[in-house]
Amino acid sequence: MTTPHTLNTAETLPPEPEKATLEGRNKILAFWLFLGGEAVLFGTLFATFLTLRNQVADGPSAKELFHLPLTAAMTVILLVSSLMSVFAIQAMHRGDKKKLAVWLSATVVLGLGFLGMEIYEFAEYVIHKGYGMTTSAFSSAFYTLVGFHGAHVLFGIAWIALLIGQLMKKGLTVVTAPKIYVAAMYWHFIDVVWVFIFTVVYLLGRVV
Amino acid sequence: MVNQESEGRAPVVKRRQRHEGPEKHVIAFIFSIVLTLIAFAAVAAGEVNVAFTVILLLVMAVLQVLVQLGYWMHMKDKGHMIPIIFMAGGFFVAFLAIIAALYWMWW
Repeated sequence: MTTPHTLNTAETLPPEPEKATLEGRNKILAFWLFLGGEAVLFGTLFATFLTLRNQVADGPSAKELFHLPLTAAMTVILLVSSLMSVFAIQAMHRGDKKKLAVWLSATVVLGLGFLGMEIYEFAEYVIHKGYGMTTSAFSSAFYTLVGFHGAHVLFGIAWIALLIGQLMKKGLTVVTAPKIYVAAMYWHFIDVVWVFIFTVVYLLGRVV
Repeated sequence: MVNQESEGRAPVVKRRQRHEGPEKHVIAFIFSIVLTLIAFAAVAAGEVNVAFTVILLLVMAVLQVLVQLGYWMHMKDKGHMIPIIFMAGGFFVAFLAIIAALYWMWW
């Protein structure tokens, strides 16, 4: 490990600090493998959902249940938060620690907004419509798939929030940069999964 | 080569060269928003043609995912062959699981 404290000012930080060390490059490469595994995991949940989506028992069908404006708002919020993390990485490449922290904070705040809306949506279904996890095979598959994505959002929020704390404490170095880069990759992947969720679960649920 | 780079002090000029502006990413963002809008509008418009709408929705989703993987996760940049293999492998197995499950249930 190179001594990070010699590299932590804007003048001495390498142009792509996340790839400046072997450890950083390995972290990013391994994270791609992890994301490949995540794709498989969500793939199986989508497979389950698609096979069970019409087994609604005496509960409502997707057509009766989903409210598209809420889903559209959640989609835009998550997309904007993904853009915020792109700006964060660009600030990191400029060696601008303050802007990096600002954009990461914006990512976290929008992520919290998304999560709040998802909790509202689930509460609406469970409390007001009495439509729970065990109502039907469709509801089990729906809550598992969408809830699992929501859990990923929650994890990402906690992760990025902790990284902001570490960034403030330890500064932008070749040690902290790969962590932030990897967290941004994770956040984009969450957005990628959401694209499939709003398409397959919500929009296709209204069509067929 | 890169180890030397990290141990020595990188010149400031180099960072200037590598820096890219936000324009490309803002364009990718607008493109994603447009794709999302098309998808939601197609569904909100109501009963047009079910098969057409389904295909349209899937095409919009795939395009948006490609924009995000390519631009925001830098997969289109050089030196991303192994990440592409990892992700393509993941998507292949995921797709296989979906096809197998649907085949098993419906045919």
